[in-house]
Amino acid sequence: MTAASRSGSLLRQGLPMDDTHIRLAHGNGGSYMRELIETLFARHLANPLLDVQTDAAALPALEGVVMITTDGFTVQPLEFPGGTIGSLAVHGTVNDLAVSGAVPHYLTLNAFIEEGFEIAKLERIVISLAAAAREAKVVVVAGDTKVVPRGEGGGLYLAATGVGTRPRHLQLGMDRVQSGDAILVSGPVGDHGIAVMLAREQFGLRGDLLSDAASVLPLTQALTALAGLHFMRDPTRGGLATVMHEICRATGLEVRLKQAAIPVREQVAAVCEMLGYDPLFLACEGRVVAVVEAAQAAEALMRLQALPQGREAAIIGSVHAGRAHAVLQTELGGERILEELEDDPLPRIC
Amino acid sequence: MVQSVEPEARRWLVTGRVQGVGFRPFVFRLAQRFGLPGRVQNLAGQVLIEAEGETSVLDAFGAALLSDAPPLAQPEMIRAEKIAYRRLHHFEIMPSATATAQIHMPPDYFMCDDCGREMQAAHDRRYRYPFINCTQCGPRYTLITQLPYDRANTTMAGFALCPACRSEYENPLDRRFHAEPVACPACGPQLCFVAPGDRVIGAAALDACIAALHYGEIVAVKGVGGYHLLCDAGNAAAIAQLRANKQRPHKPLAVMFPWCGTDGLERVQQELETDATTHALLCDPARPIVLLRRRSDSTLPESIAPGLDEIGAMLPYSPLHHLLLDGLARPVVATSGNVSGEPVLTENSEAEQRLGNVTQIFLQHNRPIARPADDSVMRIVSGKPRLLRAGRGIAPIELDVPSGFTQPLLAVGGHMKNTIALGWGQRAVLAPHIGDLDAPRSLAVFEQVIADLQRLYRVEAQAIVCDAHTGYASSRWAARQGLPLIRVWHHHAHASAVALEHCPQKTWLMFTWDGVGLGEDGTLWGGEALHGRPGAWQRVARMRPFRLPGGERAGREPWRSGMALCWESGLDNRPSATDATLLKKAWQQGLNSPVTTAVGRLFDGAASLLGLIDKASYEGQAGMYLESAAAGEAEAVDLPLDQDASGLFTADWRPLVPALLRADVPVAQRAMQFHLSLAHSIVAQARRMQALTPFDLVGLTGGVFQNRLLAELTVAQLATAGFTAHLPQRVPCNDGGIALGQLVEAGFAHG
Repeated sequence: MTAASRSGSLLRQGLPMDDTHIRLAHGNGGSYMRELIETLFARHLANPLLDVQTDAAALPALEGVVMITTDGFTVQPLEFPGGTIGSLAVHGTVNDLAVSGAVPHYLTLNAFIEEGFEIAKLERIVISLAAAAREAKVVVVAGDTKVVPRGEGGGLYLAATGVGTRPRHLQLGMDRVQSGDAILVSGPVGDHGIAVMLAREQFGLRGDLLSDAASVLPLTQALTALAGLHFMRDPTRGGLATVMHEICRATGLEVRLKQAAIPVREQVAAVCEMLGYDPLFLACEGRVVAVVEAAQAAEALMRLQALPQGREAAIIGSVHAGRAHAVLQTELGGERILEELEDDPLPRIC
Repeated sequence: MVQSVEPEARRWLVTGRVQGVGFRPFVFRLAQRFGLPGRVQNLAGQVLIEAEGETSVLDAFGAALLSDAPPLAQPEMIRAEKIAYRRLHHFEIMPSATATAQIHMPPDYFMCDDCGREMQAAHDRRYRYPFINCTQCGPRYTLITQLPYDRANTTMAGFALCPACRSEYENPLDRRFHAEPVACPACGPQLCFVAPGDRVIGAAALDACIAALHYGEIVAVKGVGGYHLLCDAGNAAAIAQLRANKQRPHKPLAVMFPWCGTDGLERVQQELETDATTHALLCDPARPIVLLRRRSDSTLPESIAPGLDEIGAMLPYSPLHHLLLDGLARPVVATSGNVSGEPVLTENSEAEQRLGNVTQIFLQHNRPIARPADDSVMRIVSGKPRLLRAGRGIAPIELDVPSGFTQPLLAVGGHMKNTIALGWGQRAVLAPHIGDLDAPRSLAVFEQVIADLQRLYRVEAQAIVCDAHTGYASSRWAARQGLPLIRVWHHHAHASAVALEHCPQKTWLMFTWDGVGLGEDGTLWGGEALHGRPGAWQRVARMRPFRLPGGERAGREPWRSGMALCWESGLDNRPSATDATLLKKAWQQGLNSPVTTAVGRLFDGAASLLGLIDKASYEGQAGMYLESAAAGEAEAVDLPLDQDASGLFTADWRPLVPALLRADVPVAQRAMQFHLSLAHSIVAQARRMQALTPFDLVGLTGGVFQNRLLAELTVAQLATAGFTAHLPQRVPCNDGGIALGQLVEAGFAHG
């Protein structure tokens, strides 16, 4: 039962709204809203640059190329093994900057809260967001809160914008990917997708599988010193396979992956096997795909594996001249084209 | 009255299969026989013949053009007309004209008896030459690079003729006159045996290969349309090795038998049951693989076709295979030299690389293969040969489409068992089997065949027809081409293919039963009855829909369908080796559990519930096991047929589930009962429909009707009930026939 439906039942019984749930008044600009922001958001996210009294934050001058990114978060359930929508908002935004070669510094945050949302749950989410921000060494410098009427939101949506800086000399991008390059992934794929799916569908699986959601900054920073680093991306929606398609599409080159080399946790593989999913298409929230000049692939792998988050990193494939498609080389010597993800893939065979 | 003896001049225009089959030399020899001057000319598809002489002689000559034509030719007379008399002196073969006309692309043929005799004559210069051929035999489709069919337009272009071969090639009276791939040991292709640390060229290569097979090795042998993997069919260890190396644990392996005895079939008949129909089919110039029942005293290992009572048999189709099998004097397993589902490999270095996991031993040759052609596979169903796979010797399949096409169309087929078809004017051509389009090599061959066929037939498609399923690799490809796209529902294509073969104008009740294909309501069809005709199909009946747990994976794991049948029937107590708790929750929540009406999945479920199979290693395995297991007498279970408000009938399969689970009834009987009940349901559906929306003919198509037992029970029961039923014959009823059906459907619906 979600928080929203629980308070819904209270209303139906004609009971007065208590102080434990969000009201529309929490978004009307008045005292409820001020109180919510001060006691919840500002308290947990406090930092010298965050001033709830001003309309805009003044940032110190930044060195290097200033990078900015923005992202929205609608994950269900809002709390899942290994994270919450709050920590995910930080990790998602920070990771977009990190894979661009940047060091993230600042975040802004928008919260769209559904009327009737449990305040204690909101606080748990904000606490996990604050912890993720501290760990990633970013500060929230501006924010906004809106309350949407009951039934018009999935409990809580977040939107975040991140600002970071990249050294001027660092050139990363699809245009640097060349035939012969090696492809690395920093850890097992699909953990986030399966952990969230199991939590969402309330399968009641008591596994120890956690989402991989985390800041990938240590991983990306370990690689940016390599001159042979050509491109990085975090495989989120659509998973590893979708990143491969993006590379093929942008470069016109062929990507070949070795199935046996791609790290997948046993538990993820087992759930995929049972439910008929392909882990290569499942979301990760704390992994990096790196495309590196072949000569530096071993060095890149060593650097990743030296970090706790990268212990299971692997070289999983390579880039070739050829047709612009992603090919999976199976353990049996077969080759399968990884098709682009469809909205609702229907079986083609049987 | 005085009979005129004035000589006259006449012209004949002949079409049909007249290219690459020695038709022009035949006309030349015929003219010599009748003593007529004149000429013959190839007009890129048609043959023009002119002759001058007395009326009665010209009449006889004209008749003999058709009646005495060489065995491979299938000439059809377009017209005969009187022309101006020019007082010619001799008969000439004129150079080919390249004007566009009816172009025919011949398939690859066997080795004819004449060449066979020469090859065995010790004094002949082609004694034991594995590339012997003439105008009546040998490769065509796999070596033609351009039309008209001349040597320069084949992969033999690189082999310069020696003087002896040249004189045969240029002599109109020789049976090798313009035999385009003519060759001999002095000037033609050579064999090469490659093994680790060993490389043998020429005649010794053959002996080395025979020796290797003798010792139980697996050898990759390059044939006409691609590589085969060969091993001794009597050697269970070799077969086990082949299966392990090829990662092909159960899929039946074809067996090639040596040509023995006067009719060639002696060795086949020691192992397998033949009759007049299968006898003729085995010996046909196409030399297909024919599915034959195993004799009870057969000595062939069970592992050739585990769980099945039939074996795919073929006779040697090329001189190379004759020599190999004669030398070995025992049957060999001859399975496609490919990675599972891909087109057969044709190129030597690629084969060495891609087949390296299977074997290190190769028998190669240096005649390039322009495009692959896998072996054709046939099965006798309801007394007639039916194609399961259209390949070497049979395809390209050329068909007349009397209703015609207003613009040239390319149909790209399905996703599995893919092949493509071209339609223009009043013709359609179906290319040989390509493969499953998951692999890059399949897609590359798919593209090559599309380009080649358009170039060779001089047709440029103005629109593309594809399946309505946007996830098929063929549909994705079609959508990228920038041509108008016509999407055809999978089962409409199945239905239209059969209708074309028999009578597209009549009204049909078409049972399209297969694995899964996307239907008009967004669910996965495969148990439908369609009413109407090409371009105007309407679903009138279906099987009860159920959800497939695990989506695409259910196609490979029959236990999932078995579970679904039980869950759908409210039964939950089926013992299972697999803990399906998680799966059941997902199924209940509709997670990756698409809705289907497919009879193919009912077969899967039934085979699983009978304990015959839980996980399949090849497509159709569960259905084949169920068919093979069925025996004896059984009572059909009645499947209730209900009509909903929209008029759609639904046949409820649920009464089958308790019947399948009855442990007190032998498996053979339960399997038979399942087949009978489905046949019974078809008759019941036909009866109900006839009363409401009359039809002329019943059609049975879709991969499910590869099942002979079901097809024959159904045809017989329909006949008893007064219905005439047709199955596809010239094209496969499985997805190999989809491309043709797409063309026909698009032609009727869009003009």
